[in-house]
Amino acid sequence: MAETPIPLEVRNITKRFGDTDVLKGLSLEARKGDVITLIGASGSGKSTFLRCMNLLEQPDAGELFVHGEAIRFKETKHGREPADWNQVVRMRARLSMVFQNFNLWAHMTLLENIIEAPVHVLGKPKKEAIEQAHSLLERVGLTERANAYPAQMSGGQQQRGAIARALAMDPDVMLFDEPTSALDPELVGDVLRVMRGLADEGRTMILVTHEMAFARDVSSEVIYLHQGVIEESGPPKAVFDNPRSERLKQFLAPKH
Amino acid sequence: MINLHGYGPRLLEGALITVELAVLSLALAIVLGLITASAKMSRSRTAHAIGTLYTTIIRGVPDLVLMMLLFFGGQIGINAITDQFYAHFGWDIFINVNEFVAGVATIGLIFGAYMGETFRGAFLAVENGQIEAGRAYGMGPWLVFRRIRFPQMMRHAIPGLSNNWMVLLKTTALVSVIGLSDMVRVAAEASKATREPFTFMLIVAAVYLLIASVSEWAFARLQKRYDVGFEEVK
Amino acid sequence: MEALTSQLEALLADNSIFTLQTLGYYGEGLVTTVQLVFLSLVIGLVAAVPLAIGRGSRHRWINLPIFLYCYVFRGTPLLVQLYLIYYGVVFIEGIQDTWLWAILEKPFVPALIAFTLNTAAYTTEIFRGAIKATPRGEIEAARAYGMSHRLMLRRIVLPSAFRRALPAYGNEVIFMLHASAIASVVTIMDLTGAARFVYARFYAPFDAFLFVAAIYLCLTFTVLFLFRYLERRLLAHLRPAGG
Repeated sequence: MAETPIPLEVRNITKRFGDTDVLKGLSLEARKGDVITLIGASGSGKSTFLRCMNLLEQPDAGELFVHGEAIRFKETKHGREPADWNQVVRMRARLSMVFQNFNLWAHMTLLENIIEAPVHVLGKPKKEAIEQAHSLLERVGLTERANAYPAQMSGGQQQRGAIARALAMDPDVMLFDEPTSALDPELVGDVLRVMRGLADEGRTMILVTHEMAFARDVSSEVIYLHQGVIEESGPPKAVFDNPRSERLKQFLAPKH
Repeated sequence: MINLHGYGPRLLEGALITVELAVLSLALAIVLGLITASAKMSRSRTAHAIGTLYTTIIRGVPDLVLMMLLFFGGQIGINAITDQFYAHFGWDIFINVNEFVAGVATIGLIFGAYMGETFRGAFLAVENGQIEAGRAYGMGPWLVFRRIRFPQMMRHAIPGLSNNWMVLLKTTALVSVIGLSDMVRVAAEASKATREPFTFMLIVAAVYLLIASVSEWAFARLQKRYDVGFEEVK
Repeated sequence: MEALTSQLEALLADNSIFTLQTLGYYGEGLVTTVQLVFLSLVIGLVAAVPLAIGRGSRHRWINLPIFLYCYVFRGTPLLVQLYLIYYGVVFIEGIQDTWLWAILEKPFVPALIAFTLNTAAYTTEIFRGAIKATPRGEIEAARAYGMSHRLMLRRIVLPSAFRRALPAYGNEVIFMLHASAIASVVTIMDLTGAARFVYARFYAPFDAFLFVAAIYLCLTFTVLFLFRYLERRLLAHLRPAGG
């Protein structure tokens, strides 16, 4: 997978759960340095869409390209599946995901969490990985917590740790799945500050969030999903200040 | 001092056989248990059916009957195979089913079924998000198993593992029936010869209790090791 | 009846192992196994109730002996217990001259004693766990209504503990059924004893042991279904309503 200006592109993704069409043909193109935010009511399919991008969910139809290389699929009796899981593994190593519930590995310390994939997936020398981990910990403000286990950390610390873990992969694209939704309100700020730093340094990011002010500030593109369809998309100014669709207007209207 | 009528050394050898038998059977049972758990969790219907059949039959038939079937039947089965070799290739092989191997095979086979259930429950108890995070970071299935699933599963498996081990330990006594000189057989012979069953049987009972207590302590330590990271902040 | 016998005879005519005679051994073995298991379970169950209550007693000289009894009988192989009692009884000085010998001479009674002591120890622990798991609120309610300790035990604690203990006790019944196979070691002609006899006579391990394995499998499933039925009836109150 060579370097190209388009690290990730998805076309016409559809997904059904049972009888419900969750995603009805969604496309998205992430160019280098883009910060794309997916917004929408719960159940609009935005998290499922994000999870299709690294194939944690298998889309029923549609195409994925990582640096222009198409992911190959085959039909099985369990539905459509990737034809070559090695290709998927290689692809995932270039897209880091940050989860809503952090999903730091509970049996490892924070430091072990951060070096795990660089050492075992990318084959980085352990010493080098540890050095890098320490500088990342400093960056997210967790220098002192290197040897803590996830259960001993607050939610905000865990999420910042999870971001450090994602950065350690030196990813081409970072996927954020509602990274602040599981946090107490007073802990949200620290996490958003770290994310803003990443956007400022030109990281390619795709995020699902309910933090509208944040989305408006950092995004290069905002996509509004409604019932599995892209109802409206564009630069944040256009989407937030001049929404055309009625549904988006309602969605953005201040709640009582 | 207790008079062992010269049976002391043989009793000690018997105790060693009991321990060796138990440890090797446990190792076999763990391997079979992991395979069974994977078969039962697999999407393949055939694998699932085979796993279910195995656990159902093993859990429905007494240990002693299975042991005799394997020991006495195994010899005839192997003879039939070696006879074929002789008839077709002229190779004259004789394999004697050794009591120790038959014992390990049977006990391993029996407890493999129980371990399968233990491991299956333990694997299902691992949070899906932990596995997903591994996948999302480019880990293949084997790496996810080795680095995440297995260490996290062990935490849930240890109570069942410990329980199975205690039952397995006692089950090893049955090999004395098929002729292996474990400590129970030695003690039974000594009891008959000396007419002092209490001396010998009580010693054997004490050794079993000792092994059980030591293992209980060892399992508690193991549990502590796999619990690392799971205790909440105080 | 005669017609059935002759039909069976015709069926068995070309089978050298499963003759009416060997089937008769298996039949008698089945009766012996069921008797042995049933008797030891019933006596063990009756003994386990007071033992379980005593195990929770505050008095050391009540709970400690019971604890030790359970610890020893659950921590050692049943085979060792069987040998201990079987040989222990035989070698008691002068026992062969007493009236007791008439009963103890046959291995059935020593085996029954060993099995009963063993299952009573396991059942005691099962009940103790179930009693300990009584919801606090139920006990407090009983106290609040002025029930004495005895009355509370009889009317509130034990009935609910028995129901909770049912699944674990079902496992114990199956365990005893399977464990009873070692009765054959002290020459009792139970199911396994019959199989060993048939094996030794015809040198046909597969026929002898697979057949008996199938019988045990049927017995196990019978016990399993019986307990599932009991659980459905007696534990209905613990299931969420509706659905």
